[in-house]
Amino acid sequence: MQFFRTFRPLGNNTVPLKALQGCSYSTATEAVHNVTPYKLHRLEEGPKTTVTYGRDEALKYYRQMRTIRVLETTAANLYKSKIIRGFCHLYSGQEAVAVGMEGAITHEDSVITAYRAHGWTYTRGADVRSVLAELTGRKTGCANGKGGSMHMYAKNFYGGNGIVGAQVPLGAGIAFAHKYKNEEKVCIALYGDGAANQGQIFEAYNIAKLWNLPCIFVCENNGYGMGTSMARSSASVDYYSRGDYIPGIWVDGMDVLAVREATRFAKDYALKNGPIVIEAFTYRYHGHSMSDPGTSYRTREEVQEVRQKRDPIGKFKDVIVQAGVVSEAEIKKIEEEIKKEVADAAELAKNDPELPPEELYTHVYMDPPPNFKIRGCDDSILAATR
Amino acid sequence: MLKMAASAGKIYCRLPKSKLALFANLNIFRKDGIALRYVANERQMHSSASYLATIKLDMPSLSPTMEKGNIIKWYKKEGDTVSPGDVLCKIETDKAMMDMETEETGILAKIIVPADSKDVPIGSLIALLVEEGDDWKNVQIPAEAAAKPPSKPATETPTPVVTTAAVPASPPSAALSSDHGDHRHLVGPSVKKLLQEYNISSNDVPATGPAGALLKGDVLNYINSKKLSKSVTPPAASTPSTPAPKVEPAAAPGANYIDIPLTSMRRTIAKRLTESKSTIPHAYASIDSNMGALTELRKTLAADGVKISVNDFIVKAAALALQRSPKVNAIWANDGPKLSQSVDISVAVATPNGLITPIVKGASYLSVEQISSTVKELSGRAKEGKLLPHEYQGGSFSISNLGMFGITEFSAVINPPQLAILAIGTSRTEASMKGNQLKMTVTLSYDSRGLNEVEATRFLEEFRNALENPQFMLGGTNLDSAAEAFAF
Repeated sequence: MQFFRTFRPLGNNTVPLKALQGCSYSTATEAVHNVTPYKLHRLEEGPKTTVTYGRDEALKYYRQMRTIRVLETTAANLYKSKIIRGFCHLYSGQEAVAVGMEGAITHEDSVITAYRAHGWTYTRGADVRSVLAELTGRKTGCANGKGGSMHMYAKNFYGGNGIVGAQVPLGAGIAFAHKYKNEEKVCIALYGDGAANQGQIFEAYNIAKLWNLPCIFVCENNGYGMGTSMARSSASVDYYSRGDYIPGIWVDGMDVLAVREATRFAKDYALKNGPIVIEAFTYRYHGHSMSDPGTSYRTREEVQEVRQKRDPIGKFKDVIVQAGVVSEAEIKKIEEEIKKEVADAAELAKNDPELPPEELYTHVYMDPPPNFKIRGCDDSILAATR
Repeated sequence: MLKMAASAGKIYCRLPKSKLALFANLNIFRKDGIALRYVANERQMHSSASYLATIKLDMPSLSPTMEKGNIIKWYKKEGDTVSPGDVLCKIETDKAMMDMETEETGILAKIIVPADSKDVPIGSLIALLVEEGDDWKNVQIPAEAAAKPPSKPATETPTPVVTTAAVPASPPSAALSSDHGDHRHLVGPSVKKLLQEYNISSNDVPATGPAGALLKGDVLNYINSKKLSKSVTPPAASTPSTPAPKVEPAAAPGANYIDIPLTSMRRTIAKRLTESKSTIPHAYASIDSNMGALTELRKTLAADGVKISVNDFIVKAAALALQRSPKVNAIWANDGPKLSQSVDISVAVATPNGLITPIVKGASYLSVEQISSTVKELSGRAKEGKLLPHEYQGGSFSISNLGMFGITEFSAVINPPQLAILAIGTSRTEASMKGNQLKMTVTLSYDSRGLNEVEATRFLEEFRNALENPQFMLGGTNLDSAAEAFAF
């Protein structure tokens, strides 16, 4: 099958390299996409604004983003049926950030984020069932059901951190470990626009730049720190420039390909020159947490407008379908597969066994000596640990 | 897990591909672990061509403490298109009015619980969505929703949890592996009762109802064909519709308590204290008194052969303090405080039947010695239950002293209609710059409708002054108490 290749950007955003009109099967294997221009801070040159992507990548990114969306919707429903209890922060609307960044790094690179962790846990390699089972507090959860929404972990994924902003200095520490061990790896430390105003962020910036650690600081700017809009909380809303002496990039966080390109650039930069800041401008559809209806500090119309005009999944679908890389029928099929996969996972997550109470006393110390016992909250409890 | 996936696949493959995912989505709302896969029932698929894939919308829990809610209003009507983020209805939770949003795409096919419905338990079906392009008018209402009225008691909802989710060890095979397991939840109360009475498993009975529901007729046919008779085992407690064979109270298990018959005195105490605590706004103030001088004085008196207890001095000190701050010496009557003409102090005495408060009348005019003998005489008769009503009814102020039992300090409940009660703690030694000091803490409980902080403080200061200068308490009139009362 022949196809011709052109990288000449045209007026519109999407340039189909090979699209067979009227055919339900897509045959184009590669396409070009023009992204919203980046904003740069202390950088002469930024990431490429013309991005090439393949069919397999398009399918993969779409599937990942869609899975996160359905996963979060399912979590919301389980929460509203009181099957998930406690804290629950949903990632719906921000999927392109996790999926785009994951597209530019490897599973050997490290990631650490805050409490909005479900999407990242999934892209880092935990399956849907283990994320849902963690939420329902079951043994099969990715943290044995001991962590819940805010404390999920996977390989080279350091959580899931409940303390706002505290993951950023930890991320700088992970980057330090990579540098110390002479590994060609970066650490992505994510925080929100709310945490961006914390002092510890700037302490982490300082030590990271002082030692030129391979750390990518990512501000996932969804516009609202809990219930406060960024304009009401931040003296400067140009979060990409707030590293001062650390260069920064502003990227459209609703465009998975733009995020991937910016991350690719940032990884390359961080390995050579030290830390860099990315501000991914995104949006969250749900409230801050399940106890926030999310409409007292913004209008429902605003949310609906973003859903219609900026939705990372809907927009990406339009891009890849118009480019002829993926067909509508394929999208439909993927969506059905995902719905089934997540629903099945939810069913398992509801019925998987819970941990026995003895497990309260395990995983307290690293490699405790044999027959080591620890005290409970009351002196009469002396329980075995491991 | 593999087994489950395989069996699920078997069910799904009979459906049109486009409906596949929606079916899978159906069961995510169920809390009881039973798969809501009845729509995928094979017989159903073959017989009903107009069957539509539905998305079930359940009553959401919109606050952490919500158990049920009221549907105030539907923003969408049947036939309206629904897209993610749309508001479907307004729900009143236990705390606030909230909008229910949806994340689904489709058409609102059927509103099962209409607007103005009260006390809809969370998890109950409130509406059905169908996919866009489907004929929403022909949506099939699940038998589950048709059988149960929306205002069913909340206690019904969790019952299936016990029966089905109790097998967490092998949930997939138990809950999902067999096709006939799917309609088990679709039994109405009468069917459930029959199944229980005849000890039949719902899996054994072929179901013919809509959407694979098990009908009463199916069970009756089965019973007739097998010539079954009622099982001997009595129905479980889950059949409240038969109140006649009520178990006798004597046989009630778990009798972990022993009933103590209430004496009328105890009943009165209970009533009066409840009335006091629930209608009087109690306020409290405490003060420490130095008991050194009083101890010395008592030693001197004891050397002269006069034995007077600390309690007698306390009654006297309180009487003097009441005389000097008369607002405390009052009762609350007819919605206002009334100053009492005389200082009549009720002294709490513990008797085998409970606390009783004999009154030392005209206490401010009695000498400590007279108070001592009065208290001794009254408490003696109180313990024998020989007090006359006028000897314990009335009084303008109360004292409750637990100091002799070693209580450091405590708060007492006001004895209505009085305005205040003084709770006396024990004397304790405290180190200070001046050497060891004997301290005693008293706490005044006062009715803040009739007394303010300043008046209470004033009284406590006077009380402390009297106790710390006990020599002034030795004075008194030479009149006896009866003459004293008359003179007033």
